[in-house]
Amino acid sequence: MKDIICLKGISYSYYDKFPAVCDISLSIGEGERFAIIGANGSGKSTLLQIMNGLIGQSSGKYFFRGNEVSEKTLKDKGFLRFFRERVGYVFQDSDVQLFCPTVLDELLYGPLQLGIEEKEALDRAFEVMQILNIENLKDRPSTMLSGGEKKRVTIGSVLTMNPEILLLDEPTNGLDPRTQVFLVELMLALNDAGKTLVMATHDLSLVDELHMQVALLSEEHKMVKIGPSDEILKDEDLLLSANLIHEHVHYHGEEIHKHRHSHFLFHKH
Amino acid sequence: MKNKVPLFLLERPSSDSFIPGKGGLKISFIEKGIHHLADVIKTGYIQWETASSDNFFQKIDARVKILFLLFYIIIVSLKKNIPSEVLIGAFVFVLTFLSRLEIFNLYKRVLFFAFIFGFLIALPSALNVITKGEIILPLLHLSKPYRFWIYQIPEEIGLTREGVYGVLMLTSRVMNSLALSFFVLYTTPFTEIIKALKVLKVPDSFLMIVTLSYKYVFIFAKTIEDMHLAMKSRLAGKVSNAEGRRWIAGRLALMFKKSQQRCEEIFKAMLGRGFSNNIKFYGVKKLQTRDWVASAVFFIVGVLFLWI
Repeated sequence: MKDIICLKGISYSYYDKFPAVCDISLSIGEGERFAIIGANGSGKSTLLQIMNGLIGQSSGKYFFRGNEVSEKTLKDKGFLRFFRERVGYVFQDSDVQLFCPTVLDELLYGPLQLGIEEKEALDRAFEVMQILNIENLKDRPSTMLSGGEKKRVTIGSVLTMNPEILLLDEPTNGLDPRTQVFLVELMLALNDAGKTLVMATHDLSLVDELHMQVALLSEEHKMVKIGPSDEILKDEDLLLSANLIHEHVHYHGEEIHKHRHSHFLFHKH
Repeated sequence: MKNKVPLFLLERPSSDSFIPGKGGLKISFIEKGIHHLADVIKTGYIQWETASSDNFFQKIDARVKILFLLFYIIIVSLKKNIPSEVLIGAFVFVLTFLSRLEIFNLYKRVLFFAFIFGFLIALPSALNVITKGEIILPLLHLSKPYRFWIYQIPEEIGLTREGVYGVLMLTSRVMNSLALSFFVLYTTPFTEIIKALKVLKVPDSFLMIVTLSYKYVFIFAKTIEDMHLAMKSRLAGKVSNAEGRRWIAGRLALMFKKSQQRCEEIFKAMLGRGFSNNIKFYGVKKLQTRDWVASAVFFIVGVLFLWI
């Protein structure tokens, strides 16, 4: 599998004071399903933003298809276009991503920015609305959408650009079970269609369902381990040390019962 | 689901390489503006960090500092000669130095605002059209004097000695007031300032507006910054100034709507936790010996400034 993304010793600090990611190195192959997992504040979202070239790393090197990505290289018009049309980013907070007057405008924004003909952009928008079941929301302003609808529109707004790689920040966060299932099916379908999926999450059931390659970040913002989800999710000591599972105390009748608890293993087949 | 994936999503990019663009991409005015906005958050953090440090002025009780600020701003406004203003300025500078603040950053701001709101605004009043007196710098010579509305426009227009002195006086007052305000702001955590104002009987409704506005500035800056990142992630080229203006106009309306929703949610959250139009504080400490000594010293120095 050819590497599409390669990070070498990436570090980033907010305000040059608070470290967010420390010395992260990883490679993501073409068509891979890759998850970055870690507790709140471990640096998952920051790492994803670096991968999308939205913030520049403080140190280390980032390569996309063998080309270095930095604040300097992204100033080249040719490279910026090459990069943006291939890498799509779905924000955790849908509200910040929805900035156009209506849902249709939102879906058209990306392709029009890429210089795609209006007719083709409209065709793309309608096809994406169909797959996401949001055709009825076409003329609605984003402020009048529910949480699940907003998430579908944000994904749609990126899909209309037809990126090779989708970066998803906590995609299932705050969604109802039906929308979560819909998202899992959509991601599998997109991956089957050849898209590379990279997501930052602490939803271990999602990682388990999608059988992903996993990078585990510690609360100290460092890489702890990279491996297949089966291997990482089995290692309870590792998950406990990264604050992804916890000790749980409850009663069985009169008896106090204590065990390690995670929220994803209850449905093993 | 698999069969429903649109055909265009199966298309792959034609090439794995790119053609370098001609020339670099200039940073748009939006980007620059957003960077300034992001600086608001950084400044807030710096303010919190310096105000919480353990230096000379930071240790003094916020109530003493607020009274110090009011007293000295009154003195600055009452003084009528430039040497006294220079002396007060030097005193504030020494306090800033003792409190280990970043002097360059603080005075950069002070000079910037003093130049705009003191010097530039007052500069026209130095002309003999407004302030009569001895012309020290002639600027224009007219063929005859004119009368316009309440103004008598003389034959020779220029800067007068009295006018220039007035402008310098006003600029130095603005500069000193700003230096004092920034000095207190940079050495006192925001929550302590609000507590002190509450103890000094400032109305609750005013404090509430100040507190919420202060908090909102940060939320607003963060939302705008995130929104800009979201736009940036879908931009493949330069944004022209016209497009930038259109984007901002559209986003302003959206931000207004979102702010309104956020405002309603915050108010509901406040009501949900028992808010009843009164601000309640805890942990208001007694003044210590250090605070009394500092109050006495600042008072005596202030009276000296008034006297000289």
